[in-house]
Amino acid sequence: MSSSCYLLEAYVKIYISLELLSWWREIKSMDLHEKIANTIVNLEDSNKLGTLIKEALEKKISPNEIIEKGLRKGLEKVGQKFEMGEYFLSELLFAASMVEDAIRVLMPLLSARSTENKGTIILGTVRGDIHDIGKNIFKMLMEANGFKVYDLGVDVRPEDFVDKVKEVKPDIVGLSALLTTTLPEMKVVIEELKRAGVREKVKVLLGGNAVTEEFGKKIGADKVAKDAVQGVNFCKEWIAK
Amino acid sequence: MKKSEGMTPRERVVNTIHFRKADVLPWYESYYEDTVVKWLSEGLPAHKILKIEWKLRPSHILMNRPVFTGFDLYTFFGTTNLRGLVVPVDGGPIPRFKQRKIGETERYQEYVMESGAIARRLKGEYSWYSMPQFVEFPVKDMESWEKYKERLNPDDPRRYPLDWDKEAYLNLFEEYQEGATMLYITGFYGFGAELMGIPQFNLAFYKDPELIHDMASYWEYFNIERLRDAVEALKDRIDIVFWWEDLATRHGPNISPRLYREFLLPHYRRVIGFLNKNKIDRVMMDSDGNLYPILDLIVEAGITGLWPLEVNAGMDVRLVRKKYGEKLFLAGNLDKRKVAEGGEAMRSEVDSKVPFMKESGG
Repeated sequence: MSSSCYLLEAYVKIYISLELLSWWREIKSMDLHEKIANTIVNLEDSNKLGTLIKEALEKKISPNEIIEKGLRKGLEKVGQKFEMGEYFLSELLFAASMVEDAIRVLMPLLSARSTENKGTIILGTVRGDIHDIGKNIFKMLMEANGFKVYDLGVDVRPEDFVDKVKEVKPDIVGLSALLTTTLPEMKVVIEELKRAGVREKVKVLLGGNAVTEEFGKKIGADKVAKDAVQGVNFCKEWIAK
Repeated sequence: MKKSEGMTPRERVVNTIHFRKADVLPWYESYYEDTVVKWLSEGLPAHKILKIEWKLRPSHILMNRPVFTGFDLYTFFGTTNLRGLVVPVDGGPIPRFKQRKIGETERYQEYVMESGAIARRLKGEYSWYSMPQFVEFPVKDMESWEKYKERLNPDDPRRYPLDWDKEAYLNLFEEYQEGATMLYITGFYGFGAELMGIPQFNLAFYKDPELIHDMASYWEYFNIERLRDAVEALKDRIDIVFWWEDLATRHGPNISPRLYREFLLPHYRRVIGFLNKNKIDRVMMDSDGNLYPILDLIVEAGITGLWPLEVNAGMDVRLVRKKYGEKLFLAGNLDKRKVAEGGEAMRSEVDSKVPFMKESGG
């Protein structure tokens, strides 16, 4: 056998070994991602989550990959369980808080590029309504899912929504109202967005106990979320398109 | 109150919640202050609804003065005041936090409330029935809870009226038959959510279960002991327990069946067991939202009535009755949106539910 054949054989062997190593690493990291996701899904204690994240970092898995394939995957499954009626508010909040805490720890390790957000949303409870529990839960879930959230608070004037849309050019505007009496304000906001010529540049999502799908259609909203998880899913679908 | 033909309003309520015949079904309404103010401005005769009583004012030791004590729309409209006669035992923090305004802008006023929470509300609202925006809650962790407990001494004599006299109160209750005699208890979920705020309270079931266990145990002890004297004295008179705890949304209960079973159920069984031992067996839970996932547990806890069965959350009085029969008496479930629509929409909503419920009782 010529020396070039030997070289070729060695090259192939090295190539296969490297491929196998990379495949093995991928299997191992998949295993770790799954473990991290399962820690969230099973609502286990945060110490275990911390240990797994440390292990992943030691194995040179990027923080961004840990967040996307581990933490957010877990949160997504928790959301599915919530939708199916297997999990409830406590479970949802706890899982979101686990993810938020973990992201906070990983944040300094993320490169500027990898911290790009999933999308941007402006959020607020409409004028005349000062209820914010549902809005705040939605905000927490959106942030845990990687969205940049501009929370304008409660009792937000239509013109403030419009000004913020012009300023930050979000993908989505989320309007919340609990009271039947403040529902008309949602329509006013949509009308103001139209008047300012920015309605077509954003999706409008409605949420809150008094809001119905029928009402949403009537006033020209894009979607009405019956709960925070459904709201997050709508936003993820919009951004994915 | 004037006794109309047949039963007294109290008898109507008591018979109905015990699945016995009533001459007329009790029609219970809540009249919020904002609504009353609006109606007054639209011509509701004030002199026919305002209640004025002669009372001793603390600053006028021996001087009786007329005092506006509220309004009575029940008599005016012929509805039932389910909360007419209330067992007078204070369940709040004693001493109260001094309610005071701590900030004001063009649109808001910010207050320290009597519960110790800090809240904002829009100016110009008369009542607080529409929840204010809570800025801060008094209990955040075990340390602040231990401190708060000092205000929840069940044996504090200030929990009972200055003129507390069992016999006198029994006579007073007998004299006024305007409605059922009601005992108020805030369920543990309502208690915790009021002290910590819904998100933090819900999170604590996982983040700090020791705190929740301690709060639940104390809630049980506090309620049994603060009520013991009144319950034992008025046991033949108390008709219904109003058990407030808004623990659900449209999506479902805020806490899972597993958490309900672990953290709430044992304490609920003991508090309701104490009431049952004293012949009080009608406990009506007040919670909005979709309660279906925990209804079995609610019944297991000893709750025997539900209100208001929120239509918007998918609750249906007919389904609940079919499944639970006489285990639960039921109130509410008429869709306020249909009522607001009026006309045929309202009629068809009433016709679809009331005859069925009238037939099945309770």
